[in-house]
This record gives sequence, structure tokens and C-alpha cells, in this order.
Amino acid sequence: MEILLQLIYSGVALGMIYAVIAFGYQLTFATSDTLNFGQGEALMLGALVALTLVDGMGLNYWLAIPIVCAFGLLQGAVVERIGVRPAIKIKSEFGWIMSTIALGIIFKNVAENVWGRDDLKFPSPLPEAPMKILGANVLPMEILVIAGAVVMMLAVEFFNRKTIYGKAVVATFNDRDAAKLMGINTGLVITFSYALSSLTASFAGMLIAPLTLTGATMGSVLGLKAFAVAIIGGLTSGMGIIVGGIILGVAETTTGFYLSTGYKDVPGLVLLLLVLAVKPAGLFGKSAIKKV
Amino acid sequence: MNRQHFFAAVLGFVLLALVPVFTQNPYYIHLIETIMIYAVLLFGLDIVVGYTGQVSLGHAGLFGIGAYTAGVLFLKVGAPFWVIVPASIAVTAFFGALLALPALRVSGPYLAMVTLAFGTIIQILINEMTFLTEGPMGLKIPKPTVAGYKFNEESFYWVVCAMLALSLLVVHRVLRSQLGRAFEALRGSPVASDCMGVSVYKYKVYAFVISAGFAGLAGCLYAYSEQYISPNTYNNELTVMFLLAIIMGGRKTRLGALLGAAIIVLLPKLLDDLEAFRMVASALAVLMLVGGVIGVSRKITTVKAMAVPVLGTAALAAFSFWLESITDWRLSIFGLMILFVVYYLQDGIVGFARSLLGRRGASQSTVHHVLAAGQGDPILQAVKNTGEDLLVAKQVLMQFGGLKAINQVDLRIKRGTIHGLIGPNGSGKSTMMNVLTGIYVPTAGSIEFEGRSVVGRTSSDIALSGIARTFQNVQLFGEMTALQNVQVGLHHTFESNFLDVALATPRSRREEAAATQRGMGLLAFVGLADLADEQARNLPYGKQRLLEIARALALDPQLLLLDEPAAGLTAPDIKELVSIIRKIRDHGITVILIEHHMDVVMGVCDTVSVLDFGQKIAEGQPAEVQANEKVIEAYLGGTAA
Repeated sequence: MEILLQLIYSGVALGMIYAVIAFGYQLTFATSDTLNFGQGEALMLGALVALTLVDGMGLNYWLAIPIVCAFGLLQGAVVERIGVRPAIKIKSEFGWIMSTIALGIIFKNVAENVWGRDDLKFPSPLPEAPMKILGANVLPMEILVIAGAVVMMLAVEFFNRKTIYGKAVVATFNDRDAAKLMGINTGLVITFSYALSSLTASFAGMLIAPLTLTGATMGSVLGLKAFAVAIIGGLTSGMGIIVGGIILGVAETTTGFYLSTGYKDVPGLVLLLLVLAVKPAGLFGKSAIKKV
Repeated sequence: MNRQHFFAAVLGFVLLALVPVFTQNPYYIHLIETIMIYAVLLFGLDIVVGYTGQVSLGHAGLFGIGAYTAGVLFLKVGAPFWVIVPASIAVTAFFGALLALPALRVSGPYLAMVTLAFGTIIQILINEMTFLTEGPMGLKIPKPTVAGYKFNEESFYWVVCAMLALSLLVVHRVLRSQLGRAFEALRGSPVASDCMGVSVYKYKVYAFVISAGFAGLAGCLYAYSEQYISPNTYNNELTVMFLLAIIMGGRKTRLGALLGAAIIVLLPKLLDDLEAFRMVASALAVLMLVGGVIGVSRKITTVKAMAVPVLGTAALAAFSFWLESITDWRLSIFGLMILFVVYYLQDGIVGFARSLLGRRGASQSTVHHVLAAGQGDPILQAVKNTGEDLLVAKQVLMQFGGLKAINQVDLRIKRGTIHGLIGPNGSGKSTMMNVLTGIYVPTAGSIEFEGRSVVGRTSSDIALSGIARTFQNVQLFGEMTALQNVQVGLHHTFESNFLDVALATPRSRREEAAATQRGMGLLAFVGLADLADEQARNLPYGKQRLLEIARALALDPQLLLLDEPAAGLTAPDIKELVSIIRKIRDHGITVILIEHHMDVVMGVCDTVSVLDFGQKIAEGQPAEVQANEKVIEAYLGGTAA
């Protein structure tokens, strides 16, 4: 029982990371109907930049957060300008899918050449001794991950709902053409949504880095599973990705423990196929009526 | 395939088959063999990507399933070669179906991600199921032995060559058949496909399964060709490579698939050699610069548009001289290539060459002109029995959020009549059409067609039961010819399946010939016989509307819904249209006509119903309705208030 509880704790922490990345997918999908297939690489770059700042330059972990976030903003904007905008312009059906994949491959390869191919240890900013909650061990870092993820998502939601810039974003969510006619620079909003999406991913990378090893290959699978979360929860539902993330995270840690670590990625991906078969809009998504 | 293409293909295969005679170097033989194997897979992938327009990132996984089916069957069961080949195809096709059934319920980015997930699962499973696959150790398989003869490197080359020729033939036949037309149609206009009885979902899955079968065959050949398979081959990098090959070679052409296969096999070899790469990068930069200068001087393009590719290739060349070792940067260069292809070579090398030579895509064979239109009546006589109700709608309610687009409408359509449906803009006429054809499911109410409820049935099912329609905003399959558009409507007349088509059985030939003849007859009926080979998107607007009617008639409907057929037509065209509508009715087909041209409505309709704000405000003979005060009020504003 104690072990199960412990697995649930770390599953929830992992799930929150998935939720944050999935949140990034939602941001760009809502404004432009596209998403970044290199989202996992954005996370990886965030983690590696943070590693250089903290481990290489001796900067305090907490002070490094804003720098990493700024880096994420920039990285997202670059992806949008190079990979997505031209594809939207030429109305290429899968241009943006291929180009964001290509950018992801390039980022990964560059990271391999800059930081090396080995996985590196990220120094934990919090004590690594586990605490006891309800009789099971929890790492302080896991609590930070959960708190950080929730704060991040709330901050973006607050921005969207309460500020005038956020309202521009929401207007673009609802109807891109109408927003454009109302004088909103929708192109800029889309760039911004990509920047914001990479920011959340970089931040997630920084949160998860102390719990796992950091390396050029850490992103791909995380990005893929976060997409599974986004589909399981529904690409339009904020609540959905949190529930979906937790389901997937816990499924993963328990499978890893009770079955084999080799199989830990399987249940999430199978769940993805099952949800699509039963309810394609996701557990919490609303199915839209297509108009002719 | 016209004669020229046929000879080119035969010549190509003879040359390919002679390769081992000219060179004894096993390295080159193996290289070409690999290209041919990839080409088999790409033929299949092109069906999904090029024809149905779906992005699959799962084909490396399917390729792996094919290879491992061969490996496992050989090592664990000792199955012979002639069992293993069909088994690999069948097993992979089965997995393809397993993936396609849930994944194709969604489209676009979803499908890409889901297939990516599938590829990842397959790789994990191959790695972990060591009792079957030996995990990361991999499997060793010798070249096959058939009837006591053991193939060697050279003779196996010919096996692959024969398989490639066979695959080419099958793909060619499938894509020219009703299946190929269905695949293209569902990409051109999903809504129209469904309303022509070609279920989009079903045929997407069908295309994916066929495609998976080819991936399985390729995987199986690959296992025998390499004689060693391990899980790491079938990774996501390979899957992106396959997509790159399709786009770079050119979609919807077999030559493009072959070219693409050659590129992705040779590219890594090229990138192993720094000197060669420097040369290629420099040559590319010079070519780009020359091309850019010519383009700008001839005013084909602007300096701004050319700046990025010219500077990009120059930077790549500079980068290649700065590099000391290329293997570390292989993937980045690969990524840059994808970006380049996506933005500057969208139609692939074959498409680019065609546009340079000023030729359109391979036009379809033109034999059918010879066929005399009008042998027999192209339109089937519908059951002619006036008096009874063909369609009865009761208390239909269609609600979008708070808006009631149709509010408690009753409609009775008598068999053999022309029933007009009029009303101001936004009164719910087209919504009614969409409800009747299953595009919308009504919030409440019942609709019975020939005594059977249509509520909740799929559009394609309703279409097959005898309701055909045209669309207010024309929904033709733009890249297909006029004749092919009508033939999609005739899809229901085909009983031949994939095997019939692949083997070109008499049944499939007979049905195809019949469909061509009836298609031409229907085109002649609406006066488009001369334009049979023209792409639908090139037709003038009025002709497109007529083509939609011909396509709808191909469905052999009992009930035909015409949504503003006269919109955008000139006065003489309208006259022609009216006589066409009358002729349709004379065949016993019941017509519901939505129209704003009152002279058309009043001239042909037996009964007219008037909708306003989703409610039926009047019904009766045209003259009665015209005199109705409520109708005048709805059209001209409230004087009678």
C-alpha cells in the first residue's frame, strides 16, 4: 500500500509535467489550428539551458527561472516564424507538421553537439531527502513540480482572462478572421501563442530536470506522451489535461514498477488509441458540429 | 497507362534487372535492392499521403512489423518463403487496420501524432518481447530457399525486382479503379464523398490498410535482403525519411516514389563523405544563386522571395567547410533539407520538372470519347407511383446552441413531384437539406424516407438508400476530371473488391467499362460530354453546377435535393436547367428544389413550402403561395403587421 501511494505521488508529479506540455499544445492549437511537433525539444532545450546556468555558471536555481523562461519565449517565436508562419501562408496541408518536426530534429542534433550525447545529472535545488506524507515517501522536488505546474497554468489563464492582451489572444482563439477584422494583429498573436507555449515547455523542463537525467533525447517521448494527454483530456479542456496527465502519469509509474520499466510508455499510448476509438473529442472535450 | 508510359516502365525494369549482369559489386547490387524495397513501401505510403491526404508517421513501425513477421515466422516456425511473404503482408495489414480504425476517426495533426505514438509502441514492443523477437539482439535470417534452390545475393535481387514490378502494377490498377477515385474524392471534398455514398471513414481505413500491406511486403523483403533485423532500424527518424521521400520525389506519381527512395537511401551515404558533401553544398549554392538571378531578371520572382533560399544555401556551403566531421551533424542537415523541400519544392522533383516542361499532371486515358453517349438511358427509371408520400418529416427541430435553425417543421414530399422549398436567406432551407442527408442530426423530430427513419444514420448510408443532393457552395472533386466526378457517384454500382481490381478480373473490367459508359451518358444528359476530361476545378461556375447534378443522378436516387442550382447561371443556362429538372422528374425521380429564382420555382414546382426563421409559414400550389400574405410579408417586410 505504501509503495502504491508512493507510485501515485510520483505519477501525479509526472502527470503534471505532461499537463503543462499539453497546455502548450492547447495554446497554439487554439490560435492557429497547428501545434509544435518539437514541443518536447523545447522542453529539453529549457532543461539544458538551465543546466548550463545552474551547474556551469553557478547561478541560483530560482534566479535561473526567468532567464530560462525568456529563452523559451524566444525559441517559440523562432519556431513559429521559421516553421509555422510560411506553412500557414502557402496553405500547405502538412507543411507545418513536417517543418516543426524538422526543427525538432535540428534542435535535438544541435543539443547533442553542444551538450554531448550523455545524460547529465541536474543538481536539485531542494533537499533530496524524502518527506513522509500519509506514510509514503515524497521528494520535496515532486511537490515543487506539482505546485509549479499549477501556478504556471493559472498564470497563463489569468493573463488570458484579465488583461487586454489576453483578450486579443482569446478573440483569436474564437474566430481568427473576425479578430483580424477587429484590428487585432492575429499573426502576432499566433507568434505569441507559440512563444508562450515554448515558455511553458521550457519551464516544465526546468521543473522535471532535477527528478530525471537531463540530455538531448529527454524531450521526444515526453512531447509525445503530453500529446496523448492532450487528446485523452480533450484539446479544448483545461481540466481535461490535468486529469489526463494524472491518469497517464500514475499508469506509467505503476506499470513501470509492477510490470517492467521497458513497458512504462505503453499504457499511455494504448490509452490514447482507446480514447480515440470511443470518444475522439477526448474525455472532457466537446465535439464540435461541422458546418457545411 | 498510355503506351509511352508503358514502354518507359518496361524499359526501366529491363535495365534494373540487368544491373547484376553488368556489375558484380555486391555493394551496388545491395544498394539498388534497398532502393527498390523502399520504393515498394513508398508506393503504399503515397496512397495515404498523396491520394487521401493523411499524414502517417507510423509507416516505419509497419515496416518493422513486416520484417519481424518474416523473421519470427522463419526462426520459430520454419515457414517457407512463399508462406512468409503473404503472411507478412496480412499481419501488417491487420496491424494497419488496428491502428487505422481508431486513429482515422480524427484527421490532421491528430492522425500524425497518433501514428507517431503507434510507431513508438511498436518499437518498444519489439524491444521488450524478447521471447519472440530476441529484443535488442536482433534476428538473423538467411536468404530464402524455394523448392531446394537457395537464393543468393544476385538471384534475390531479381526476386525484389519482380516484387517491385508487381507492386507497381497493383498500385497502378488500384489507383485507376473505383477505389482510387474514392481515395481522391474523399480528399477533394469529404462532405460530397459521404453524400455520394462513399463513406470517408471507411475508405480512409481501406487506403491505410492497403498501404500497410505494402509496408509489410517491403519489411519482409528487407529482412531477407539485410539478413539481420534489429529494433533500432524502425525508429521515428526512418518514418520522417519516408515522408521526406514522398514529398521530395513528388506526390501521386510512381516515378516520384522511386526517386524519393533513391534519395533517402543514397543521402546518408553522401552525408558520410565530407568532401562529397562540400561539393554538393557548393554546387547547390551556385545553382540557387544562378537560379535566383535568372528568376529576378525575368521577373518571375522577387529579390525578397529569393533572398532566403540563396542565403540559406550559401550558409550551408560555408557551414560545410567549417565542419570537421559530418557524422555529428547529419541530422541537422537532414532537418534543413526537410525545411527546404517543404517550402521550395512542394510538388516534389517530379512536379517541379513537370511545371518546368509546362505539362500538367499525367492526364487520364482518353479512350472514352470513342464511346457513343446515349446507348441506353443513362438515368435509371425510379419507381413511378405518384400519390404516396416518399418522405415524411415530422416536427423537425434543429438547434445550434440557443438558435433554432429549424423549428418544428413538417414536410411531406409526394413521390414523383417537384417540391419547391423557398424562403429568405437564413430561413433554414439549406439546414433542412443537411438534416435530410444526415450531415446534421436533428435535435428532435422524425424523418422517414420510404418508410424508414433516416435520423442518426450516416450520410453515406442515407445516400445509398436513395437520397442524392447538390450543394449550395459547389462541392466537386476539383483535381478529378468531370467524368471521374460522375464515376464517384457511380461507386455504388461496383461490386468488385481490392482483389478483383488488383488481378483485373473480368468482373472489375466489366464494371469499369459500364461506369465509363454511363458516366459519359450522364455527362451528355447535362451537356458536358465534350468536357469529360477537363479537371472539375477548371470548369466555369455554371457548368460546375450542372456537373454536380450529373454526379448526383449517378447515385440512382429516388429523391434528388437541388440546393440553388440556378445561382450564378445566365438566362439561357437557366432555361436549359429547367428542362433538365423536368426530364429528371419524367424519370420518376422526386425533386426537392431550393431556389431564389422565383420564375424557376413557380415554373416547375408542383408544390411549394415556404420557410421563414426556421418555421414553415405556407405551403401549397405555387400560385396560392405567391398570393399568401405571410409569404409576401416575409419577403418584403411587415406591411400587414
